[in-house]
Amino acid sequence: MIDQIAFSGAVSLLFTSFAPWMWVIPGLLIGLIFGSIPGLQISMAMAVFLPVTFSMEFLQAMLFLTAIFTGGTYGGGVTAILMNIPGSSSSIATAFDGYPMARAGKHNEALGLGLAASVVGAFVGYILLLLLIDPLAALVLKIGPMEMVVVVLWGLTLIATLNEGSLAKGLMAGFFGLMLSQIGMSTTGVMRTDIFMPFLIDGIAVVPAMIGIFAASELLRLRGGSYLVRDDAQRDISIARIMAGVGQTFKYPGVLIRGSLIGAVIGAIPGVGSSVANLVSYGEAKRKSKNPGSFGKGAPDGVIAAESANSSSEGGSMTALLALGIPGGAATAVLLAAFSFHNIVGGPSFIRNQTDIVYSIILGNLGQVILLAVIGLLMLRVLGMVVRVPLAYLVPSVLAMCAWGGYGITGTIAGPLTVAVFAGLGWLMRGSRYPVAATVIGLLLGRMMEGELVRTLQISGGNPLRYLFERPIALGLFVVMLLVLVGAPALKAYRKRKTGDIAG
Amino acid sequence: MTGKLSAPHAALLGIILALTGYITWSALSASNTLNNLIVTVPVAILIAVLSGVILFAAFRSPTPPEPDETSAVWGDLLLLSGFALFCYALTHIGFDVATFVFVWAGVVMSGGKGLWQPPLFSALFTLVLVKGFGALFPYPMLTLVL
Repeated sequence: MIDQIAFSGAVSLLFTSFAPWMWVIPGLLIGLIFGSIPGLQISMAMAVFLPVTFSMEFLQAMLFLTAIFTGGTYGGGVTAILMNIPGSSSSIATAFDGYPMARAGKHNEALGLGLAASVVGAFVGYILLLLLIDPLAALVLKIGPMEMVVVVLWGLTLIATLNEGSLAKGLMAGFFGLMLSQIGMSTTGVMRTDIFMPFLIDGIAVVPAMIGIFAASELLRLRGGSYLVRDDAQRDISIARIMAGVGQTFKYPGVLIRGSLIGAVIGAIPGVGSSVANLVSYGEAKRKSKNPGSFGKGAPDGVIAAESANSSSEGGSMTALLALGIPGGAATAVLLAAFSFHNIVGGPSFIRNQTDIVYSIILGNLGQVILLAVIGLLMLRVLGMVVRVPLAYLVPSVLAMCAWGGYGITGTIAGPLTVAVFAGLGWLMRGSRYPVAATVIGLLLGRMMEGELVRTLQISGGNPLRYLFERPIALGLFVVMLLVLVGAPALKAYRKRKTGDIAG
Repeated sequence: MTGKLSAPHAALLGIILALTGYITWSALSASNTLNNLIVTVPVAILIAVLSGVILFAAFRSPTPPEPDETSAVWGDLLLLSGFALFCYALTHIGFDVATFVFVWAGVVMSGGKGLWQPPLFSALFTLVLVKGFGALFPYPMLTLVL
C-alpha cells in the first residue's frame, strides 16, 4: 500500500530541514482568522495568500496553503458554536448543537469537542489518504452523476429529521429551500425568474443566505438580553473545561470514527465534499443515537459528528487533487493553481513520478493537525471572549459584520441584501417554529441535485432506474441509504415492540 | 382566522406560497421540458400538500393563550428594518458612515447605556472593520470618510 522508499524520502524531505514547517503556523493562524469571520472564505484566504507562495519551495507552498485550509475548516466551527454563524457551508451542522451548548453555558466544552473532533477527523482523513490514495483515486473516477444524486439525496434526508415538533413544518422548510434554489438560470441554461434582480441570474448566493437566516435572525432574537451566556459564573473561558470537552469527545468513539469515515469518503467526491459530508454525518449520528431527542438542543455527539466529518473531508478532497489533478472545490482549485505556479501537474503521473512529494504533503498535513490542536487551544481563549461581550454591543456589531460578510462573498449589494432578506425570513420562521437549517440545506443542495438529476437523465437516455442497476457503486450506496433510513428504524421499532410484548 | 393561525405564521405561509407559485409559473413559462421542471414541479406540489397539512393542523389544534409580545415584536421589526436599510446604504453612502450610524443606533436600541460609550464604541468598531476586514476584501469598497 505504501511505497517504502518514497515514504523514507518524504520523511527526510520533511525532517531534515525546518523550511517546510516555517509557514505552517502562520498558515493555521490565517485560516483560523478567515474561517472565524463570517463572509471571509477559506478559498478567499488561500487565493489572497497565493502570490506569497511564488518565492517558496513547492512543498513549503503546499504546507502553507493546506495549513490555511486546515485552520479555516476549524475556524468556521468556532463561530458556529459561539455565534450560530457557520463560517462556511461545511460547518452548518456544527451550529445545530454547538450553539445550544454555548447558550447553556457549555461553550468551553463545545469548543473542546469541536477541536478534538476536528483534529481526529483531519488525522483520520489524511491517514486514509496515505494508505488508500490509489484505490480512492480509482473510486473517484467511477463516480458519475447517478452516484452524486444518491449522495445528495442522502444529505437531503436530513431535512426530515430537522423539525421542532412538527414533521410537516420541517419538510415545508426544506422544500421551501429547494424551491428557492430554483431561482435564476437552470443548469441547462433555461432562464427562470430572477425576481426582477439581475444579481439573481446565478441563483441565490448560499453563504450570505446562510449568514442571514442563521445568524442575523438569531441576533434579532437575542436583542434585549444581557449576555450570550446568561449565568455570570459560566462566562469564563476555561482551559480545564475545554480540555474536559476534548476528553468527552473520546467517549463517543463510534460517532467520531463514523463521522471521520463519512467525511473522508464524501469529501473525495468532487463537487460534493464537506458541505454534504457534515450533514450526512450529523443525520447518521442522530439516527443511530439512543437519545435522538437531544439533538438540536446541545447534544455533544452532534458537534462531534459534524466537526469530524468536515475536517476529514479535507483529506478526502485532496484525493482527487493529488491523484487525478481534479479540484473538488474552490480551496483545492487554489491548490491546483499553486501546482501550476511550480510547474507541477497533478494526476497519475505526479503520484507515479513524485511519490515522495505526495507522501510529504500528506505527512506534513498530519503534522499540521497536531499543531492545530495546540494553536487552536491557544486561540480559543481569544475567540471565546465573545461570550463576555454585552449583547447590547455584540448584536449590532455582529449584524454589521454579517452584512459586510455578505458583501465579501458577492462583491455587490446583492450580498448584504440577501443577508437582510434571509434575516427577515429566518425571524419569521423561528417565530413560527420552522427549522431554518432545513431551508439552508434545501437551498444548498437543490442546485446540486438538479444538475446531477439532469445529467443522469441525459446519460441514461431517460431511464434512470435501469441505469441505476448498471452502476454498482450507486446501487450499493442506494441500498445502504435505504437500509439506514428505512431498515434500521423498522428493526428498532420491531425490537421495541417485541420487548414491550415480553414485558407486557 | 388569526385566532388559530398567528399573523407571523400566516405571513410566512403566504410568502412561501406566493414565491412557490411565482417560481413555478416562471419555470413553466420558460420551458416545460422535464430537464427544466425536474425539481420545481414536484417540490411545488409537495409544498401545496404540506401547506394544507399545516393549515389543517393549525385549525384543529386548540389555540394556546399567546403571551403579549407585541413590544418585543415591534422592537425586532424596527431593528430588522434598520438592518435592511443599513445593508442597502453600505454601497450607497459608504461602508464607514453606514456602519458607524447602524452600530451606534443598534447599541442604543439593544439597551446600551451612556451618552458617549455607544458612539465611541461604534467609531472604534468601524475603524477596525474598515482597516482590518475591508483590507482583506478582494473587491473595491466605497467609503465616505475613512
